[in-house]
Amino acid sequence: MTLGMVFTKLLKNPIGILGLILLFAFTMIAIFAPMIAPVPENSFDPQMIPKGGFSRSPQPPSEEHLLGTTGAQYDVFYGVVWGTRTAFRIGIGIAICTTLIGLMIGAIAAFFGGWVDELLMRITEIFQAFPFLLTAIILTSVLKYVYERGEGGVMILVIRALALVIFGIKPSEIIEPNQLTFLFGMIAIIMFGWMEVARVIRGNILSIKHSEYALAAQTIGAKNSRILFRHLMPNALFPLLVIVPMNIGSYVLTYAALSFLGLGVEEGYADWGQMLSLARNWILSLNDHVHIVLYPGAAIVLFVLAWNMVGDALRDILDPRLKGSQSKAIKV
Amino acid sequence: MLNYIIRRLLIMPIILLGVSLLLFSIISLMKPIDRAKAMFTTDIPNRLRDWEGLIEKFGLDDPVYLQYWHWLVGIEDPDTGDIRGGILRGNLGYSWSGRSSVADVIKRRGPASAELVLWSAFPIIGFGIWMGVKAAVHHNKLIDHILRFSAIAGWSIPAFVIGFLLIMYFSSRLHWFSPGRLTLEVGQIVQSEGFVNYTKMHTIDALLNLRLDVFLDALRHLVLPVITLSVTSWAFLLRMTRFSMLETLNQEYITTARAKGLHEDTIVRRHALPNALIPVITVGGLALVGLFNGVVITEVIFNYPGLGSFLAESAIALDLVSVAGVTLFFSVILVVANLVVDILYMIIDPRIRLD
Repeated sequence: MTLGMVFTKLLKNPIGILGLILLFAFTMIAIFAPMIAPVPENSFDPQMIPKGGFSRSPQPPSEEHLLGTTGAQYDVFYGVVWGTRTAFRIGIGIAICTTLIGLMIGAIAAFFGGWVDELLMRITEIFQAFPFLLTAIILTSVLKYVYERGEGGVMILVIRALALVIFGIKPSEIIEPNQLTFLFGMIAIIMFGWMEVARVIRGNILSIKHSEYALAAQTIGAKNSRILFRHLMPNALFPLLVIVPMNIGSYVLTYAALSFLGLGVEEGYADWGQMLSLARNWILSLNDHVHIVLYPGAAIVLFVLAWNMVGDALRDILDPRLKGSQSKAIKV
Repeated sequence: MLNYIIRRLLIMPIILLGVSLLLFSIISLMKPIDRAKAMFTTDIPNRLRDWEGLIEKFGLDDPVYLQYWHWLVGIEDPDTGDIRGGILRGNLGYSWSGRSSVADVIKRRGPASAELVLWSAFPIIGFGIWMGVKAAVHHNKLIDHILRFSAIAGWSIPAFVIGFLLIMYFSSRLHWFSPGRLTLEVGQIVQSEGFVNYTKMHTIDALLNLRLDVFLDALRHLVLPVITLSVTSWAFLLRMTRFSMLETLNQEYITTARAKGLHEDTIVRRHALPNALIPVITVGGLALVGLFNGVVITEVIFNYPGLGSFLAESAIALDLVSVAGVTLFFSVILVVANLVVDILYMIIDPRIRLD
């Protein structure tokens, strides 16, 4: 099955097409954010939500603030719109990093086998022994301290590289504090988010390693690296089509959880999880301030739902074990 | 099979060693004063100039491997001659946000979290499997689509959004449930002398003490947190069960059973379900990870005094010692749970047992 065929089938799958439509809508919102929610003139960073007034309690939707304001008077509409960019950065940024790390480790383990495989798989297992969110919590806090102290050369290199890719900050420029905390959260999730990809890739390469075409390549004297990258990898990559979209969804959820606990981005950053964390102060009167939960919450749910629907549809399309089950399974 | 179990048992210490190394490398990034607290439960002097002596006393500038060793087995205090610290002795460090040793905090707040997880297991396992089977049996019918979609949706809703929505409607509007673990008056009963706290899990203790009022009050406080915690794992289990059931129903022995003219209910319940559940067991460990993550968020929202909310509080207060200690505790549970799951899988699956 080629990529084109997969895409055509995706368009015929009701859940798949719903997911694609949602994703398209979010992409449009992210691209046209400056037009949908214009940045105020005195703003130094468009990702910071402008404040609208000095009242203490959340204000209901009005003409000036389409979706109302949160407790600290952050404009909900602006946050929801610009939060789309944050969500894409988080989801896709983390997914690219974890997929690359997972690919590398899985491919090396499967290809070399023996003690290399054993070692890498045990390391994978060790990383899996940690509850995801807890390690992210501890890492974000430690990273803050390490970076402030200016130690940890590798870590600073990683942060610099991520800053360049995510925000386009050149190595000579200063990273703003709010961008820095944003990156800490990402690194924490990346460090404990690559294991699933590694395991799946390893399993797949192992199953096709002994296939006839790999053997044929070997007999004509192709180099190890050539067999790995030209022959094995492309075939082993297909299952990533299912895993990666779902991972993007779960990374966004984990990051939102971090922000919700007050460990992700700074207060006022256009991030859905952060906006929801502001609702914690109004927990006893939530009934009167429905808008501070409903809109950012709906944004997260729809965004994650879109990725999960695409992933789920792709699984139905790609999994050969389910083929024909429609006709055979239940016809009584 | 015995070989496999022995192999798993031999690998477990290696995994635990790796877990401890990884956590130690995170701890070694902390300030010396934090490391002193993390590694050796001790009285930390308030004055800055006394810290120097502390670094020397506990060898905090020793080579890394020596520090790791001290962290594992403890170090002798040169003044008093006692052994300080040592995670193998159960010393997980001193938590200033909990105002006691981390081990004590775990003992104090652990039962509340355990109670929450325990009660959540019922709806997760019950509904997850039941609906998964329903969806598979009616594959590609309306009910399958509805269940499948609701599973994806449940999988996509963050616990804090569910929690907020539940609070909004049931607490804030209807005043049915309130946050916390017990109402004030009932809390006094639990503290009183006549009430014996066997497990510190209020619902179980109440039954053992034959106090129905305490039981109902504790249960009422558990309803919303349990729902919040269950949804994600329920969706996960539903999807796994559906998938595995579909595969099983595709097998030839099911066709044989049909050919024999067995009733469809019997086929599903007696022939397909037991086999379909085997692969579901293997994801038990993964489901537990999801539960642990959920516990943190759920307890924070509902102001529920368990380990999860303690973890969140100490992380925000930058009390890394507590975070590291509790994380280690959760990781060990996870490693052991994975081992149990693996062995259980061996025992249940006849294909492996007979090898």
